[in-house]
Amino acid sequence: MKFDRRSFLQLIPGAALTATGVQTSWAAGEPLRVGSILSVTGPAAFLGEDMKAGLQLAVDEINASGGINGRKIAWTFYDAESQTQKALSATRRLISQDKVELIVSGGNMSGIALAMAPMAEAAKIPFISSEGALAIVTPVADRKWVFKSTVDDEDVLERIADYCEKKKIKKVALLADSSGFGQGATTQMKKVGPRRKLDVMYETFGPADTDMMPQLTRIRDSGAEAIICWTVTPAGVIFIKQAQQLGLDKRTLIHSYGFVSAHYMTLAGNAASSILLASLKLPVGDQLPDRDPLKAGILKLFKDYQARFNRPASLYAAESYDAAMLAKEALTKVGGDVSKLPQGLEQVKNFAGKSGVFNFSPERHSGLSKKDIVLVNWKDKRFNLVDYD
Amino acid sequence: MHAGSAILQLLVAGIGTGSIYALIALGFNVVFKSTGAMNFAQGEWVVMGGMISALLFASTHNIGLACIAAVVIVSVIGILSERLVVWPLRRPNALLITLVSIGLAICSRSLVMMILGKKPVGYPGFSEASTLFVGGIAIQTQTLWIVGLTLVFLLAMHLFFEHTIMGKALRAAAADRDAAAIVGVRVETTVMLSFAIAAFGGALAGALITPLTLSSYDQGALFGFKGFSAAMLGGIGSLPGAIVGGLALGLLEAFGSFYISSDFKDAIAFAVLLAILFARPAGLLGRADVVKV
Repeated sequence: MKFDRRSFLQLIPGAALTATGVQTSWAAGEPLRVGSILSVTGPAAFLGEDMKAGLQLAVDEINASGGINGRKIAWTFYDAESQTQKALSATRRLISQDKVELIVSGGNMSGIALAMAPMAEAAKIPFISSEGALAIVTPVADRKWVFKSTVDDEDVLERIADYCEKKKIKKVALLADSSGFGQGATTQMKKVGPRRKLDVMYETFGPADTDMMPQLTRIRDSGAEAIICWTVTPAGVIFIKQAQQLGLDKRTLIHSYGFVSAHYMTLAGNAASSILLASLKLPVGDQLPDRDPLKAGILKLFKDYQARFNRPASLYAAESYDAAMLAKEALTKVGGDVSKLPQGLEQVKNFAGKSGVFNFSPERHSGLSKKDIVLVNWKDKRFNLVDYD
Repeated sequence: MHAGSAILQLLVAGIGTGSIYALIALGFNVVFKSTGAMNFAQGEWVVMGGMISALLFASTHNIGLACIAAVVIVSVIGILSERLVVWPLRRPNALLITLVSIGLAICSRSLVMMILGKKPVGYPGFSEASTLFVGGIAIQTQTLWIVGLTLVFLLAMHLFFEHTIMGKALRAAAADRDAAAIVGVRVETTVMLSFAIAAFGGALAGALITPLTLSSYDQGALFGFKGFSAAMLGGIGSLPGAIVGGLALGLLEAFGSFYISSDFKDAIAFAVLLAILFARPAGLLGRADVVKV
């Protein structure tokens, strides 16, 4: 049921006061107003479309099962067009005009979610971000209302360090793009590298660069045994191709979870077989060992998503789906009181989502860990599990 | 690894990228020659060249045919663009055409996004073997195609402007629109032709570079910016200047990011660009315009 001005007027002859009271918004039966902002146009659109689909699926599933504590979700969605400014005015509208009680997903770009977080915090509206940067939820003292459903760069780098240790690799190169995503990883690597006794060299490239030979030549001459590339832009394909041309495919090449895209792999052609990707488990869901807590859930998501949208589910769809399901889990824990949602989320332990197993606490508002990361490769036109734990 | 092979590797990389910049710079130069304006839609034609080639390649699986057809299609788009936005101007002057071209660029980008999609596209290089190894350095065969076809195209343009009536008419129209019209040059036709040539050059650049770098609808602004810088560096309006400027910019980027820092790749290139323009405001090969008042 939609709650608009007309239905409000119809209520007036009856017990109008219940609808205008201050703290009655979570009364059973009235819809739970949830707002989302994603970029379904602009450069980040390829992520946004999947994330929107993930949310649609989650909202419909929740509503079909009777809603959260008897309240169905009324979902409001705005397109941020990959622009922070647009996202911020949409956020303002969600809060002041649409009066949403909770926000899920922030523009599918870390930069946008980072800008939205303080607004949600100031308005005391719970915000569950499906974007990557750790700074969205830190420091926790200033982010009491903000949580994220994605993995932290630090955990991914720790996981890659584990792999390097296993393969006795001591010297690595981090080739990161100059965006917030790439530079965030560079900052984290400067912590992880010394801690794991890795000798790290750093190189940068522009997201729209057309040539990486200078950086790769430098890396080749430095003798780095593994090269980690950190980007979500098509420039990552240039990395794969040019690394092969320089003969670097005999070393260990690793792409981050931001590049786990079948489309990119296809564009890289036969050079794609030379790389590993540090990914969440979803793309190799069917190859996970049966003891894995996520396997059954991932297979169900594959089936439901394919049936609904007629395309395979991606990591990004899983991230936004999880964000919505975490809201449900947390609200159920606190009896549906949205103002207590943060306390509810902080109690969530060992919650098996689609992208990983979530554990939140009052000190940590980011739920995944390095155990949720596996290494995969691209062979036979699909992602395959290479290194499970 | 020896320092020598690294230098050669950078040289190859710089020349490859530089040739692309030269092709785009040439587009700027041709439109400048005929109108005195900067055409900021140039970068969008590069993207169209790449994306239309990819679309045609997907359906025909013939790389040569796809690229030639794409370049022709984009040239026609160049002509249409001129007819739609420049020709209707009542009093065309350089500043007005420059401003209109910015609108044209934004429009073209949205149309490309809506019609050709948001996903980056690519296709294999023109030759079967993708990489040659010469003296310890890797050369992509596509780079050879880029350098070769760029030279051929620039040579053809040189002959056109210096040795054909049409080319001379174009230059005359740029030098003095009214005077050219008085001596019988159809000024409006020359402007249309210059847009066609600029679109041809841009689309060729796009078709050539897509196998190496992929193509997506939002790259146009950057290509335009780089081509514009190359044109300014070489001397706007000078054809050899386009080659010199393009190669200089490509090499500066390659060596700057290797020897100084890849963090400052663009900054280094543009710092040098500024320094050169301070010393020689008309660019490396440009002639300063002397305007008597």
